[in-house]
Amino acid sequence: MAEANLKTDEILLDMRGISKTYPGVQALEDADFSVRRGEIHGLVGKNGAGKSTLMGVLMGIRDADSGSVAMDGQELVDASPQTMLDAGISYVPQHINLLNTLTVAENILVGNLPKNRFGLVDWKAVNEDSQARLSRLGLEMDVRQPVEGLSVAERTMLAIAKALFANARLIILDEPTAALSRVEIDLLFSFVRAQQEQGVAFIYISHHLEEVFEICDRVTVMRDGRIVGTREISEIDVPILIHMMVGGGVQEYERESAAGEQTVFEVRGLSRRGAYEHVDLSMNRGEVLGLSGLQGSGVDELAQALFGLDRLGVGEVLVDGEPYRPGSPKQAFESGVAYLPQDRHRFGLVQLRSVRENVTYSVLDRLVGRLGVLMRAGEQQITEEYIDKLGIVTPGTEQRTLLLSGGNQQKVVFAKLAATQPHVLILHEPTQGVDVQAKVDIFNIIDDLSAQGVAILIISSEVRELIGLCDRILVMYEGRITDEFSRAAKDMRPEDILLAIEGGRNVGDS
Amino acid sequence: MLGIRNRHDLLELGSRHFIWVVLVLTAVVFGSTIDKYLSVPNITNILITGSVLGVLVIGQALCLMARKLDLSAEGTVSLVAVMAAWLMLPYREQDFAQAGGLGVELDPLIVIPIILLLGAFVGFLNGFMIMKLNMNFFIVTLAMQLVLRGLALAISEGAIMPGTPAAFNWLGGGRVAGIPVSVIATIGLYLVFGFVMSRMQFGRKVYAVGANEDAARASGFSPARTVILVYTASGFLAAMAGWMLLGRLEASVPTLGVGMTLNVVAAAVIGGVSLKGGEGSIIGAFAGVLFLAMVNNALNLMNVDPLWVNAVRGLIILVALIIDAQKSRYRGRAAAPDKAKRAEANQSAALS
Repeated sequence: MAEANLKTDEILLDMRGISKTYPGVQALEDADFSVRRGEIHGLVGKNGAGKSTLMGVLMGIRDADSGSVAMDGQELVDASPQTMLDAGISYVPQHINLLNTLTVAENILVGNLPKNRFGLVDWKAVNEDSQARLSRLGLEMDVRQPVEGLSVAERTMLAIAKALFANARLIILDEPTAALSRVEIDLLFSFVRAQQEQGVAFIYISHHLEEVFEICDRVTVMRDGRIVGTREISEIDVPILIHMMVGGGVQEYERESAAGEQTVFEVRGLSRRGAYEHVDLSMNRGEVLGLSGLQGSGVDELAQALFGLDRLGVGEVLVDGEPYRPGSPKQAFESGVAYLPQDRHRFGLVQLRSVRENVTYSVLDRLVGRLGVLMRAGEQQITEEYIDKLGIVTPGTEQRTLLLSGGNQQKVVFAKLAATQPHVLILHEPTQGVDVQAKVDIFNIIDDLSAQGVAILIISSEVRELIGLCDRILVMYEGRITDEFSRAAKDMRPEDILLAIEGGRNVGDS
Repeated sequence: MLGIRNRHDLLELGSRHFIWVVLVLTAVVFGSTIDKYLSVPNITNILITGSVLGVLVIGQALCLMARKLDLSAEGTVSLVAVMAAWLMLPYREQDFAQAGGLGVELDPLIVIPIILLLGAFVGFLNGFMIMKLNMNFFIVTLAMQLVLRGLALAISEGAIMPGTPAAFNWLGGGRVAGIPVSVIATIGLYLVFGFVMSRMQFGRKVYAVGANEDAARASGFSPARTVILVYTASGFLAAMAGWMLLGRLEASVPTLGVGMTLNVVAAAVIGGVSLKGGEGSIIGAFAGVLFLAMVNNALNLMNVDPLWVNAVRGLIILVALIIDAQKSRYRGRAAAPDKAKRAEANQSAALS
């Protein structure tokens, strides 16, 4: 036992002092991360915690501003994807990239198919060779079948096998179980453990914490671009891990509730196959309601559908007591519903165009005079009003929004929505990709709007932000609303909410 | 004074007014090297030949601003010219590749609305197929060009139909106070569409849809309706151009308009309308038209071997495209932090 420990204590990967800054965002701050030989090392943290940036640096697709990466004590200079591959670092993505119409054997030997003496592919050798290689890894599958006939777990194992054939010693598994059944997970895990025994190390990225406890030897937690800590899995439990993920209950922002009595937004039994089921929610005037869930839990689909960007499905939605079924965003605006999209660049802004044009897009109908001619003075006035109100930092109304910082771009989108004077505002990850100052500004905007009586639905994975902002928080899991937390019930604890998001039961309720 | 604070503003200003500087330089160079280049008859000549091109460029510029392309416009020119002659001219047996019309001898005042509506309808069909049936704009308009040109050849049986009535020819060949009607009409159309694009709701929507269709939709616009209207306008303008060209030639030739598309796109791009959509102005496109018309005229006057003319034109078009590509590349670099952040966001989405 002591001997085995000695062996696995050898450090394989050593990342030291990795920092990476994007304008206004510190994506990684002095991160130290190491993996031992033959270890399965969990990497957890919320979206935006810095996992992807750290892994990007490790894969050589992101340049760190500072810090070093070493394999076997050998520092890797001139980091490029090729350097990292050569050093034995390999990445297996959530959505496996294989040549789906080709056979398993062809996928294994692609680029290096054995030829016979006529220079043609020697298919017999191809199949025998690849079968033998797979057997050595303890993987039994028919190498003649096309990859598209494999199950997701088999594809993942095949991708791992391919990495091993390319002499990988450290394999990054990114959410490998997201689309797997329990049986398949067991199959995959036993395969991964078998490779681990041969000395291969894995970095295991997952939102499913139970699985981390099931398969990992150690786990590293990231938060806000920093490494919170690395623990032996045997020394901690789920609550401790969640506590590390959300931090010490620090609330940066806490607002007064402005919720009124009158219900302005009501969703009754809304279902869309494959997206969400029996969603019920209601918001009063001035209420701020949080909604949180993992990717694939249905929150994203619900947000888009409520704004007319996607089908609503069956069920009922009422705005100010009137039935609401938006066929397009235009109809949503007309009914008093506005939506701040998560992907600001794709859905929020027309980046090539000016601040003035972007702010007034939503209210052009109000700004047309006779014969469809736009009233320039009116445009100017509205734009200046919102630049002033929301504190948009721009050289002028004619600046292309492309040239603004992320936070100011987000404020331009806010201005566009606020200009419609909505009764219901749906915000989708409103603080993603904006700097700290802009975050605070955005919180204040939310506060102002709610004080004016706007009912605000915030869809976010930033649990601490939600706790500071919201009167109530709903949690969605696998298409259903599974939990409700409220300030009134004094049960908005980040640990409980995060646990509910990950699909665990609410500790307080059980 | 010009509001220049950094390299960016300089680039903006430069790309907006670059073409006018080029235009003046071209005029000075040609004016001083070619005899009578800047004489009134020659300038008039430049403007007349530029007018048909100019009308087509408006429609194409609209399509480009909406991040689309209309390859069918030159087909519309062919078809409306043949249709108009066919409906107006008396019947005559074909001889020496010349023929008369159908024999209905419709009045020009009836024929003109018919061909304009025909052009608009063709454009509408293009837009409908692209936006409602989700077809590729390049292939749709290319196929449409073939259909239109084919119809023109079939109706005319390949023959020239000369002798269109004077009332019809007025737009292409008439003069008012010595100024060609075609030039006045073209400038009028530029003023109208320049105003529409810069001052009216429709223009605002076209730019938004061209720059970012998803964001335009999420801002409450209907990209489908906007793009269909753009193509309808392009078809209408192509019919105007066909009318104008037939009026100038006073005879329909079934191959009218062949090969114009590249010149039309080139003029728009030279005038600062980006192939990547969402940018450019109608007035800029006008400058592009003037530039191409001036160069073509100069090549004529300098007796450049016709075999070389295409090479020179092609080169000019390539230069314009290079400038267009560099413009968006530079801008892409300026916005690089955002791009990186976006890539980051995408990646974290993939990682979560």
